[in-house]
Amino acid sequence: MKRKILSILLATCLTAGLVGCGGGNSVSVSVTEEVSASTETPASTEEAKELDLSERVDLVFYVMGEAPQDEELVEDEINKILLDKFNATVDMQFSTWTEFQQKYTQEITSQGADLIYIANWLSFGQLAQSGAFVALDDLLNTVGTEVRDLVGENALNMCSVNGSVYAVPNTWAEYTSNGIKYREDLRAKYDLPVPNSLENMEAYFDGIMANDPSQGILTVTTEESTGLQTAFDAAWVLNIKYPWVATNGLPYGLAANYDTPSDVYDYWFSDDFVEDMKMLKRWADKGYWSRSALSDTNKSDAYKTGLCVAEVAGQNPNKQITAIQELEEGGEGWESEYIAYGEVTKAIYPGHATQNGTAIVNGCKNPERAMLVLQAFLCDEELNHLISYGIKGTHYDVVDGIYENLSDTFPYEGFNTWNLRNGDTKLPQKTDVKLQEYFDKYDAIAKTTKFPNVNIYDGFAENYEDYTAERQAVSNVMRTYLAPLQAGLVDDVDAAVEEFRTKVKDAGLDTCREGFEKQWAAYCDAYGYK
Amino acid sequence: MDNTKKKVKIGAAGHAMNAIAFILLTLGSVICVLPFIIIVSGSFTDNTTILREGYSLLPRNITLSAYRTIFKAPQDIFQAYKMTFIYTILGTGIGLMVITMTSYVISRNEFKYRNQVSFLIYFTSIFGGGMLPWYLMYANVLGMKGKMFPIWFPALMSPFLVILMRTFIKGSVPDAITESAKIDGAGHVTIFSRIVLPVLGPGLATVGLFLALGYWNDWYRASMFSVNSKTWTLQFYLYDLLNASTAIKQMSQNSSISTKDLPTESVKMAMAVVATGPVLLFYPFVQKYFVSGITVGAVKG
Amino acid sequence: MKSNGFINNLATKMDKDAGSRKTGLVVSLIASVILFILNLPFASWLVLADPQSMVNSQQLKDEVIATLHMHYSILNIMDFVQRSKIGIIGLFSACLFALCVAADIFFIISAVKIIRNRITDKGLLGLIGTAKVGFILELLLTIGTMILPVFAKHNVHYDLFRPGYAPVVAGIIAVITYFLLKVFEAKEREKYREHGILKEFKKNWVLFLMLVPAFVYLIINNYLPMVGVYFAFTNFNFRDGLYASPYVGFKNFEFFLKADLWHLTKNTLLYNIVFIGLGNILQIFFAILISQVTVKWFKKSSQTLMFMPYFVSYVILKVLVYNLFEYNSGLINGLLTGTGGGKIDFYNTPSYWPYIITFFYMWKGIGYGMVVYLATITGIDTELYEAAKVDGANVFQQIRYITLPHIKPTFIILLLYALGSIMKGQFELFYQMVGNNGVLFGVTDILDTYVYRITTTQPLSIGTGTAAGLYQSLFGLAIVVITNEVVKRKNPDFALF
Repeated sequence: MKRKILSILLATCLTAGLVGCGGGNSVSVSVTEEVSASTETPASTEEAKELDLSERVDLVFYVMGEAPQDEELVEDEINKILLDKFNATVDMQFSTWTEFQQKYTQEITSQGADLIYIANWLSFGQLAQSGAFVALDDLLNTVGTEVRDLVGENALNMCSVNGSVYAVPNTWAEYTSNGIKYREDLRAKYDLPVPNSLENMEAYFDGIMANDPSQGILTVTTEESTGLQTAFDAAWVLNIKYPWVATNGLPYGLAANYDTPSDVYDYWFSDDFVEDMKMLKRWADKGYWSRSALSDTNKSDAYKTGLCVAEVAGQNPNKQITAIQELEEGGEGWESEYIAYGEVTKAIYPGHATQNGTAIVNGCKNPERAMLVLQAFLCDEELNHLISYGIKGTHYDVVDGIYENLSDTFPYEGFNTWNLRNGDTKLPQKTDVKLQEYFDKYDAIAKTTKFPNVNIYDGFAENYEDYTAERQAVSNVMRTYLAPLQAGLVDDVDAAVEEFRTKVKDAGLDTCREGFEKQWAAYCDAYGYK
Repeated sequence: MDNTKKKVKIGAAGHAMNAIAFILLTLGSVICVLPFIIIVSGSFTDNTTILREGYSLLPRNITLSAYRTIFKAPQDIFQAYKMTFIYTILGTGIGLMVITMTSYVISRNEFKYRNQVSFLIYFTSIFGGGMLPWYLMYANVLGMKGKMFPIWFPALMSPFLVILMRTFIKGSVPDAITESAKIDGAGHVTIFSRIVLPVLGPGLATVGLFLALGYWNDWYRASMFSVNSKTWTLQFYLYDLLNASTAIKQMSQNSSISTKDLPTESVKMAMAVVATGPVLLFYPFVQKYFVSGITVGAVKG
Repeated sequence: MKSNGFINNLATKMDKDAGSRKTGLVVSLIASVILFILNLPFASWLVLADPQSMVNSQQLKDEVIATLHMHYSILNIMDFVQRSKIGIIGLFSACLFALCVAADIFFIISAVKIIRNRITDKGLLGLIGTAKVGFILELLLTIGTMILPVFAKHNVHYDLFRPGYAPVVAGIIAVITYFLLKVFEAKEREKYREHGILKEFKKNWVLFLMLVPAFVYLIINNYLPMVGVYFAFTNFNFRDGLYASPYVGFKNFEFFLKADLWHLTKNTLLYNIVFIGLGNILQIFFAILISQVTVKWFKKSSQTLMFMPYFVSYVILKVLVYNLFEYNSGLINGLLTGTGGGKIDFYNTPSYWPYIITFFYMWKGIGYGMVVYLATITGIDTELYEAAKVDGANVFQQIRYITLPHIKPTFIILLLYALGSIMKGQFELFYQMVGNNGVLFGVTDILDTYVYRITTTQPLSIGTGTAAGLYQSLFGLAIVVITNEVVKRKNPDFALF
């Protein structure tokens, strides 16, 4: 009896299996034939909608950095106006500088904010490509016409990724060209050459060392930024030698000149590279920087306190202005001078539009209202000044057209709204006069370049999805082998270069380069950068 | 005669032990305290001097300017102090209760599922879904961003502390005692509150101390979930100050952002002193539980 | 031939044992086998309902379509998800897949147990328990499979799937066998005077109640967020969001191949072994020293002082360490040149760094770790020492025969506990001490620093990070479970769980 049950059960089991087999094998070949008959998704024909302001909307505006002390006071003032005009309020939220990169992506993932600050150093391109922001094309043509006209088609075009505009840039053109900031008083004192070329830099440094052996020359350390161009700060000086399209060339050891962006050439495997590394080694051996520089704690006030005589990485006119102020306050008669690398190579260009902009986060429930408010912040002078400088009379005053701070509780651009700078209505600070001098100087040079006033590289967003693992490995090799090479800490440059080249090839450099070059060529093609 | 000899012998070993302990502990203490002295003296030293000559044991060019910078706007610091105290007291109190109860249950041999429950607790210390889903849980699912809750709640208990407490309970309350109490008709509540808790002094002190330190040192949750400085903890205040200079320096390469008035080396040191000072004052109060013994024998007998 | 003998064997066993419990076992065994077979990737669990709409809306390429089937089982459903790029059903399907695998594992275990006829001191209860779990999982799986088509339709707005015959068959078998087992279990329980969870709950409801806060906490803080493990298998993008980003299988783990995984694993393991071992030994050593000191103020102050490094954050420690080891103006090189010696180039000489890092780790953690042992020593009955003294034991003997044995359980538990995180490094310590100094990476690179380094260069690296975390967790889990079993066999009191 029991055996019977058993065999029946087993039989059932077997049949079930067989039936299953038959079912699984029938592949859906039938599908293939009909693929070509693809259906177009109905194009969304947006009609200009009548804006409904009857419902109050509370927006969150996420910006970087720390909140000023009088955050609430100014916010209340802003909201009074916003409620009146658009029946909306804005809550400013600040990233703080702790883990800000992580928190920034997190904020977008959790869709906590409506309006958000964007910048290329916050990977705007990659984020937009990945769908982090609302495409603004329609909004700009319906509710945002005023801001569209203010910003201009050209700038908006720079903020577009794959054909859609994803951000509204500020309208204050600035030059953040890199350069060398050096102590002019020491140069004059020892009668040394102006460091406007690699040879003169070396002569300048040597001269100071000869006259005052205890004086430190440079405080350089490893590269913290996110690019894959260079690994050690000192290598930035090479920008004075090459008219590259971007600071430090292109990623993966490639390079292209500003005049011929689409003509990409290999830098890491060139003789120039070996020569440059030998020069850096010579500098290191002379003691321009500490032998422990790779782990340096990156003293930010080294220049101010006279620990070094020059800074060569990550400097820009604005930092020079700050330095002038700081040295003046130091009261020791020190002077700072600045030479942009682009002045020498004649490849100079203003900051890209995506340097400071605002986007609407994907998932925002009221994109129209957000756009309206953003437009008001940029175009409405009253609101723009309120959000940028605080309450007039309490926080600031305007004397002879120059901004003057009245209270520490809300400093200049206290909400860190660099994205809301409006070139027409921006209140200049005292230092802006000097800054403008630099800008004018660069502007004159920029006009003579092949692509006047275009920052070619920063408009490019690389999509490395297909070679992520290789890219990661390359970045690791750069830190491990390129950094000591550029810091001049190797005994034999030729051997170290060879080792670096082998390792970086093994890591998958060619895959990365292939992927990059294809996209770069397409980009140059699309924008006509030949 | 024989007896006295023995005593001398014990004394000799004891003295030797005392001497060794004295020397090694002094050495250890000195190594441990040196950096702290450097930090304190750094906070009183002029910033330029630190940069030029490095840190030293004694302050040179003594100045109070670092502290003056910090306390220029004292309301922020006091607010951070207040919040840190609230989180610490609230979290340690509730956490201690939860941990003790849980550990009591999984330390009972009569509880059939103790191993399964222990595993479920321990498992969380090895396995996690990463930062992001955890953040979304509090920020989106519970909608608690900007509130106090996500800052104190996540540190309420940790598998480590539960298991540590279980060891303490097992060590100080043998099963025999609870068994006999049970026969006398005591319920779990009575056993827990009348028998277990009273002898758990060192255990409670240890776990409580660890909890409190965890709360005191937290900057991460305050950083993640705050929307303004009202919910900041003291450590975050310090941390943020340290991070600001690096971050601003890094991003000001690309944009016109003022890099003036970033915290100096001596301000960093002063901030470290301000943030840890109070704990060091508080520590001796807890310490008595680890120094003077508690006689467990009374219960055992 | 062999299987024939096995069936005979079973049948004779059933004949011998007239009781119905053996029948129950055999039914359970057969059901397990059937369900196991049904779970294999040829039975039809899900059928593509509307391939045309799917192909259109997903814009699939011809070569992809050629690889698709009409019928899917749960074990190969993830393959479909990956090829069709319908990310929204990924998480749901992954859960079903996990359920399916879990059920299969329980079927195998219970089948093996039945065949080997394992009867413990609790009779067949353990065996039935295992089998029951398998059937419950299978039932959940079938229910989930029924819901998936509804869920998919709700999200993709066309009929993606309809359930095949397999979930229906499997569901019915699972339910029937489960209730049969329930009946046998009741008899078995009566025999061994064991009770089920309901009875246990009635008896010890206070204990259950005491666990409620902890479980509320764990569910919110740990178990629900564990969904995130799935992100290790997706290619995150903002357009689709976290839960609908395309499933990419093991692509995120590729970086392991590029990295020198063995080297990273070795570094991480070695550092952790030294940290755990040496750390605990030093902590015990100093805890005993402190407990031996009789001068009270010294006892207190040395303890406080040794606790202080704990409060020095790594960011500040980094500054101090750099000042100590810098080449030109560092304190140590200053001393060396002062005494006529040559300078040491610490930051370019990897061989020093394992010692430096270990030293600072010990230094920072000693006061903190010591507290546990101090508390344990304090908890030792003082009468024991008194009695030992009377018996003429000297201090060293007292330590050897009283203190150390009392510390042992704590030591073992802490050790076991630490094993779970053996692949997780002290990121802050390494990152702040070494920074981006590539020269030292050979000896200082651990998995955490490596992953940090490669992910900071890209904003959308959730997948890579989670994948690395998963590797660390699985590694730790395997080690802990094995060690725990070993410890449990020797002395169940020392086991973690």
